[in-house]
Amino acid sequence: MQKSPRFAVCLLSLLLTSALAGKAWADDFSEVAQLSREGKFVEALAKAEVYLSSRPKDAQMRLLKGLVQRDAGKPADAISTFTRMNEDFPELPEPYNNLGVIYADQNQLDKARTAFEMALRTNPSYSTAHENLADVYGRLSSAAYNKALQIDLSNAAVAPKLALVRQIITLNPTKLSAAQLAALPKVQPAPAAPATQVAIAATKASPEPAPKAAPLPETAVKPTREPATAARKPVDDTPPTTAKSATTKAAPAPLVDTTANREVEQAVQRWATAWSDKDLKAYFAAYGRDFDPAGKQSRNAWEEERRARIEGKANISIQITDLQTLVRGNTALVKFRQNYRANSIAISSRKTLEMVRQGDNWKIVREAVGG
Amino acid sequence: MGDFSHSRASQPLINPNGWRSGTRAIACLGLALTLVTFTLAHPGTARAANTTPGLSRADGYSEQRLLEVFALMARGQSREALAKAEKLVQDYPHFQLAQLVYGDLLAARTRPLQTLGDMAPDAARAGAATLADLREESKQRIGSVKERPPEGFVPSQFLKMAPRTRSAIAIDASRSRLYLFENTPTGLQLQADYYVSLGKAGVSKSQEGDQRTPLGVYFISSRLDRKTLTDFYGIGALTLNYPNMLDVRRGKSGSGIWLHGTPPDQFARAPHATDGCLVLSNPDIRTLMETTTVRNTPVVVASQLVWKSAKQLEDPAKSFATTLESWRTAKSSGDLKKTLAFYTPDFSSYGKSLDQFTPLLKAEMRASKGRNVELKDVSYFQWSDSAETMVVSFGEVSAGKRTGMHKRQYWVRSSNEWKIFFEGVH
Repeated sequence: MQKSPRFAVCLLSLLLTSALAGKAWADDFSEVAQLSREGKFVEALAKAEVYLSSRPKDAQMRLLKGLVQRDAGKPADAISTFTRMNEDFPELPEPYNNLGVIYADQNQLDKARTAFEMALRTNPSYSTAHENLADVYGRLSSAAYNKALQIDLSNAAVAPKLALVRQIITLNPTKLSAAQLAALPKVQPAPAAPATQVAIAATKASPEPAPKAAPLPETAVKPTREPATAARKPVDDTPPTTAKSATTKAAPAPLVDTTANREVEQAVQRWATAWSDKDLKAYFAAYGRDFDPAGKQSRNAWEEERRARIEGKANISIQITDLQTLVRGNTALVKFRQNYRANSIAISSRKTLEMVRQGDNWKIVREAVGG
Repeated sequence: MGDFSHSRASQPLINPNGWRSGTRAIACLGLALTLVTFTLAHPGTARAANTTPGLSRADGYSEQRLLEVFALMARGQSREALAKAEKLVQDYPHFQLAQLVYGDLLAARTRPLQTLGDMAPDAARAGAATLADLREESKQRIGSVKERPPEGFVPSQFLKMAPRTRSAIAIDASRSRLYLFENTPTGLQLQADYYVSLGKAGVSKSQEGDQRTPLGVYFISSRLDRKTLTDFYGIGALTLNYPNMLDVRRGKSGSGIWLHGTPPDQFARAPHATDGCLVLSNPDIRTLMETTTVRNTPVVVASQLVWKSAKQLEDPAKSFATTLESWRTAKSSGDLKKTLAFYTPDFSSYGKSLDQFTPLLKAEMRASKGRNVELKDVSYFQWSDSAETMVVSFGEVSAGKRTGMHKRQYWVRSSNEWKIFFEGVH
């Protein structure tokens, strides 16, 4: 991901405080989250305040505090918390995103729209905000259509649920301690995982530093869009491929295994069809046992999240174009453009799937989305 | 009765530089709409600046802004278009077409647009009739602004306008468009033009309740203030003299054909939405109420206007002037028989047959005692459908007198001869 220098400086200061934090901090996060989960909002907020009194610049705790305030039914307080975060950390998209979600809760769609647009201004490839913004545009658009046609369709279309973010993903994830991450409550990343969440997964999977290598050996495929998209969406190309690109870089051009390629492509197609059909059983079956959901989410939490997102849509259409497949033994890397259409929204994005052969089937083990 | 002494000389009808708004077509948007860009300020506002200093008019402004949004869309500047559309719906929340375009521009942030009103199929089904109306309204508005009348041309009906008559109105039903002209010393000048809604069943009204808008040459017969009206008519109304004498002769029925505004919760109505009335947005009808005069302002309603240059109208105008002059000469001469030859056998004047009218004519001729009859403030408007007719207005004064009568005549041409089938004081 391209970061402006300003962004980097801010990150550095945040990281310094985080890095110095140590284990005690993780306990604090964990406690606040736990209290909030138990509905003990007063205690949770008190705990957060104590923590913040000595570390007022801790973005993660302030984000958590805002979430607790929202869950406690104090949207005005949460708005104030996130708004102040925007002032203190203008480079972070998460507070803007959460602010947008709360405004959308209150049906203040114009304000929600502005907040999501700000989130995207700070981080143009932040796909949680992209999807939330698309939903808000959809709702605003429906409202305008209702006025145009002088009909009330509010019952016909269920307002989609927008996604809050529960941690500062755009901080360099490797610097967040495992305990800190584990302490976070019920992580709810957007179903279309932000690219940066993928970065967490990838980094964890491959201990060696992620090289900024071209993801696919040029001889293996003939990427047509790559030069144009690579500059804009570098996240698509790097993280999930790190393990392979590190080894394949020096290797001679592999022969394309056409049979395996076909199998992989069919598996991807089945996955897209299951998604389109809202066939959750088949959809989840497309993911391997060792599928690693982005953003430290548990498999169960991820499934729950996906179920809510998919079942919440009246109709879904997934179309896959520009499919490129690279098979190497029992692993495969698939890149394509995903044209997602649900209710009145449509999002076209790049996606990368990492797949492994399990028995006769190819299963998804990692999924990455670009903005 | 009125005073016909006036000092203004008769002026040519046509002004070669009459048209003020230049527009040109630009690229198509894939919305199946050809859109426009503006090179000049809206004629309405331009005119306001010229003739009504200090008063800023809002007529036509909303449409101009909508078309600017379309033009931005056509240029691919969807962000700017969205910002302008947002402002527009804030200012005119009941402008449904603007809301539709705003909805599209919002939707366009997440997906490519296929059509105007590119909503989900269930929504499009639920509001299918309204959606079709809005698309038609859009087409009509864009078409009228894109295809302007040729510069210096006027509707063919306007053969001669008395200088005293300040304004004239012509409606092109095929375009859902009303054209407002100012009668200047150099001729008719287009002042503004507005989108207008007509009868649900279209045009050619013939009987009461047929939900059609009449076609013909009419005059504004009264001005109704909003205080005397319900909200339905908006900020005011101008009534038309439907049925006119040609309509009566043809046995047409019905009444209450008005130009009027819209209720507070509706900025504009669909192209075919009325029971025969001509409905404009409130800012537009306001301008009409301020610029037209009762009795004098002609309102031509045509299924399709034919635009003519000054030169093209010269011959028919001269030709009819000759006919009218020969009638005037006959009447001045005191020769009743010769004068009566100008009237059709089925002539009628407010229920009087030609036989019943003849004594009145005789009395008028006797009263003038051989003095020349003079015609002041002559206007004539031709109307051609299955018949060729002429609607003539003038003040009839005997030479040396200062007062006379406002008269209106309806002439019809049969086998190359013009005859009067109605004459009356109005």
